[in-house]
Amino acid sequence: MTGMEILLLVAFGGVMLTYILGRISSSLRNTFAVVLSLVLVVIIALMYDKTGETIFYRGFFGIPMVLRINSLSWIFAMTISFIGCLSVIFSLDYMKVKERTSFFYAMLLLVNSSMMGIVLAGDLLTLFIFWEIMSWSTFLLISYNGGPAIAAGMKYIVMSFAGSMAMLAGIISIFTAFGTLQISEIAAGMSSASSGFKIFIVIVFGIAFGVKNAIWPFHAWLPQAHAEAPSPFSAVLSGVLIKMGVFGFILTMYVVVGLGTYMSLGGAIFSVRSILLVMGAITILVPTFVALLQDDAKKLLAWSTIAQAGYIMLGIAYGTSLSMAGGVLHFLSHVVFKSLLFMTVGAVEFRTGGIRDLNSLGGLIKKMPFAFTGTLIGVCGLIGVPLTNGFVSKWLIYKSLIFGSPLLTFVALFGTWGTVLYSYKLIHNIFLGQLPEKLKDVENTPLSMKLPMIILSFTVLLFGILPGLPLRVINKIVVSLGFDSLNISLWGIVSESGMLNMINLFAAILAGLIAVWLFLRIGARTIPVKQDDNYAAGAAVPRDRYNYTVKFYDPLLRMISPYLRDIFDTFYMKIADLTGYLSNGIRKIYTGYVGNYVMYIVLFISLMIFVQMKWSPW
Amino acid sequence: MDRNQLKKWFQNPVKMAHKYSLHVVYFCTGCGIIEIPPSITARWDAERFGIIPVATPRQASLFIIAGYVSLKTLRSIIRTYEQMPEPKFTVSLGSCPINGGMYHDSYNTIKHLEKYIPVDGMIAGCMPRPEAIFVGVTHLWTLIDKDMADGYKRYRSNYSAYRANQEKILGKLEWPPLFPIHGEE
Amino acid sequence: MHIIEFIFSPLLALLIGVFFLGLARKVMARIQWRYGPPVMQPLIDIIRLLSQKSASHGVAFNIGLVMSLAGSLVITLFLPFGKIAPMSNSGGMLVILYLMLIGPLGMAISSGESANPNASIGISRKLLLAMGYELPFLLVVLALMKAYNTTSITEIVSLQRDTGWSMFTFPLVLSGIAYLLILPAMLGVRPFEVVNAPQEISSGPLVEYGGPYLALATLQHALALFIGISLFVNLMWGGAANPVIFFLKMLVVFFLGIFVNAVFPRLRIDQAIRYLWRWPSLIAFAGLILVCVTGS
Repeated sequence: MTGMEILLLVAFGGVMLTYILGRISSSLRNTFAVVLSLVLVVIIALMYDKTGETIFYRGFFGIPMVLRINSLSWIFAMTISFIGCLSVIFSLDYMKVKERTSFFYAMLLLVNSSMMGIVLAGDLLTLFIFWEIMSWSTFLLISYNGGPAIAAGMKYIVMSFAGSMAMLAGIISIFTAFGTLQISEIAAGMSSASSGFKIFIVIVFGIAFGVKNAIWPFHAWLPQAHAEAPSPFSAVLSGVLIKMGVFGFILTMYVVVGLGTYMSLGGAIFSVRSILLVMGAITILVPTFVALLQDDAKKLLAWSTIAQAGYIMLGIAYGTSLSMAGGVLHFLSHVVFKSLLFMTVGAVEFRTGGIRDLNSLGGLIKKMPFAFTGTLIGVCGLIGVPLTNGFVSKWLIYKSLIFGSPLLTFVALFGTWGTVLYSYKLIHNIFLGQLPEKLKDVENTPLSMKLPMIILSFTVLLFGILPGLPLRVINKIVVSLGFDSLNISLWGIVSESGMLNMINLFAAILAGLIAVWLFLRIGARTIPVKQDDNYAAGAAVPRDRYNYTVKFYDPLLRMISPYLRDIFDTFYMKIADLTGYLSNGIRKIYTGYVGNYVMYIVLFISLMIFVQMKWSPW
Repeated sequence: MDRNQLKKWFQNPVKMAHKYSLHVVYFCTGCGIIEIPPSITARWDAERFGIIPVATPRQASLFIIAGYVSLKTLRSIIRTYEQMPEPKFTVSLGSCPINGGMYHDSYNTIKHLEKYIPVDGMIAGCMPRPEAIFVGVTHLWTLIDKDMADGYKRYRSNYSAYRANQEKILGKLEWPPLFPIHGEE
Repeated sequence: MHIIEFIFSPLLALLIGVFFLGLARKVMARIQWRYGPPVMQPLIDIIRLLSQKSASHGVAFNIGLVMSLAGSLVITLFLPFGKIAPMSNSGGMLVILYLMLIGPLGMAISSGESANPNASIGISRKLLLAMGYELPFLLVVLALMKAYNTTSITEIVSLQRDTGWSMFTFPLVLSGIAYLLILPAMLGVRPFEVVNAPQEISSGPLVEYGGPYLALATLQHALALFIGISLFVNLMWGGAANPVIFFLKMLVVFFLGIFVNAVFPRLRIDQAIRYLWRWPSLIAFAGLILVCVTGS
């Protein structure tokens, strides 16, 4: 048995055991779930810098089922286990008040295990099996809360099925063409295939992974699903689960199809690469503005997740070593800061009794300073303020795009300003402003929620100040996919078109902060005041009515909202309605009278006899 | 700037800055508002002495109360005065805040403003012309120079009495005391 | 030598910024037939503000403001002033663009904590206005970077020494015009003075700042003025090898801004966005296309 088999065995065995333990005692189950997820992190950490393949099963029609590990799988597996572990810790308090907790923990661990299976899969059949396990268990978790969550889950599972079917079509055609499903062997066979076949493969796998990654126009399922899922799972969902699509894209474009072929696939103008880039750009631009319209904190974050997926798409689809590093690093950054944001919003939801509406919160900084700090750091990462990880990854993406296609860079840079707007709306409407009367007794964040927040906030800053840490691993991936190696130091990166030195920037900002702080200390002593002691033109501050949160960006939204219609969501819903309508029509055949059914049988048999007599086909 | 001025700048820059950077928050009722615009626009131009109107009491250092003070506006005046950062100065404009002026027999106006907040200088007249405002400001400068514009210190040391006066005429106040009240402890 | 530059350039920026604030008040007064305050007036105000005991609304109220000013100070290390640019080899235009976020963001956090709706309205307007002028501004900056094939601002400046001011060289003319059209919005002067509108929303984000906080906010305003003008001079008017000439160029741009400020009333925020997204954006977009087409 190799490390990978042990890992999957521990992971899937742990899922069963968690559920069984939950029947006995909930505290035992909680301890076991935390220990299990920690063990998984350790096992994967031990597999650092290993490569290898192993056949673990041959029984299925003689097709060998393979597990393999390389630097690409390792970095994905590491993030999955890391975020999985933190979300389990986060759940400890969050799930205390809910029912069916054993089911929740088992499903959470099952999703993580199946994702590990996906990234460790060495052939397409293994990948498909784990992919389906992941889709199913995700559906169960999204619908966990019931009510509107079930509708959200249905939307997800239907779109997910469409993707899976596309993937299955691709797998079958690959199997008929090459007679093998092992990724390494397909890659060898693929170089001699016709370009039409390659484009077909990219399209079917593109649909499958695009649905999971929520690339425009396949994004319709994501906002509701993210909003309705339990918060610890939203962190996993937004952080790592949709990034399985990114993994799939890298696998399809650079491993299966191959770098050289991918860059020249398709025509001169409508090449696969340019279409993917344009899709990435649209994925940045439109959801960013839709996020501005949202009043639900988690829905806002969900739309922002779609937009950030667009940045990752731009990075990996552009196809230079710098952009590839940027794309993978932005995947890592996004995992960290978006999980952090979902957790802080989840903590607020937990402490305020389930309020996610941005218009009815406010002033919580006094009550939940920890969550505020976490949100601030997460938001800084999301925007890409220097000294956070988001800055480095976005810098890499811009840097690689800037001379090749300035218009795409423009879209990405402009999207950042949209990000500033909705991020500030999030942080302002929850934490700043006046504290409403009804939230007067909100308690501070519990310890099990603080711990993941601290770790993630620390990671945001660490990767921002020392980007060399993740970039070293990413450089290995970039080299293994056939790109040139990057010139990386611990605190920055040197490319032919400019360099970045984060440690200098860090020192400068730190010195600036200290200087300004000292300057402020020269001034007179300041007196802390309560929120009621506020300027209101001489009048007393009216309680609960002295806030500006509703329609925060109204002047802009009045201008742009007529143009922000989700055409594709409407289109999908129309298709769903049409299907329902047709099925309803077919159902009318089943009248419930035996006589009618006998008549159908007689009619069918007489039709068959007529056909036989006329043309005699049998 | 003559040599005398320069010497003062080096001796006590903070005091000089207070003199020449009076940011004003105005409280104007009735005819008081008429006299303010000429003083800050091109005809008399208060800005040449560093006097400019600001929007909120937090940014201000001078409070000019122009015109009569009714019971309703007194509440806002006290609130605004308490929100100004120390050191702060108050100047009242016109006869009404001094002794009620032409409203001396009204049931609804305040006859002596200095009973409720400390007033550093009073400019009499009904209404005083803008020149009178500048004369008042030069007097205020002299007071600042001699450390006699100490209304905010008086307010702090006699806060219990001021608060008692305020509550006597206004009833219960919505905001907590600015300073600890000695009588109750 | 190098260390002196590190301390010297932020201080110089602060000094010039505060000087510009004073000059603005004096020039505006003269345009309005007033005598006007002494040019030193902002400095007097800052001394007075530092000695006042202000009200503080919490930790984020302080830290946000400190962060905002520190971020702006760091930008001055990246911007060449004449030849003084101590940190220009640690990152180029992209780093500057992102560092320019810290200022508004810190201010937004700080004044959001002050729990006053006027401040929130001001911040909302500030971010919207920034969104408005960033659209043409990014197009202009991308056109410049594409045309000179570099992201380093020092290289853009040194290349202009050979080719002449980029505003008057062929493919960048349109970008230059667009930049000039959005400059008042970037400097925050009328007709785009919607953020701090004292008559409407009680000076917006500054509503709860008093004493030392207002002093910091004034310095931040001064630095923002310096950064906006210096960026324009460096990118469009060829920078300068000599700090004195650079300062004179900045002075010319500053007077342009002040004259616009003196004669215009204030736009509403939606009118401002509509203006910024129409003609300047179209011209900047045409400029970028022109650069892409004519470039190598």
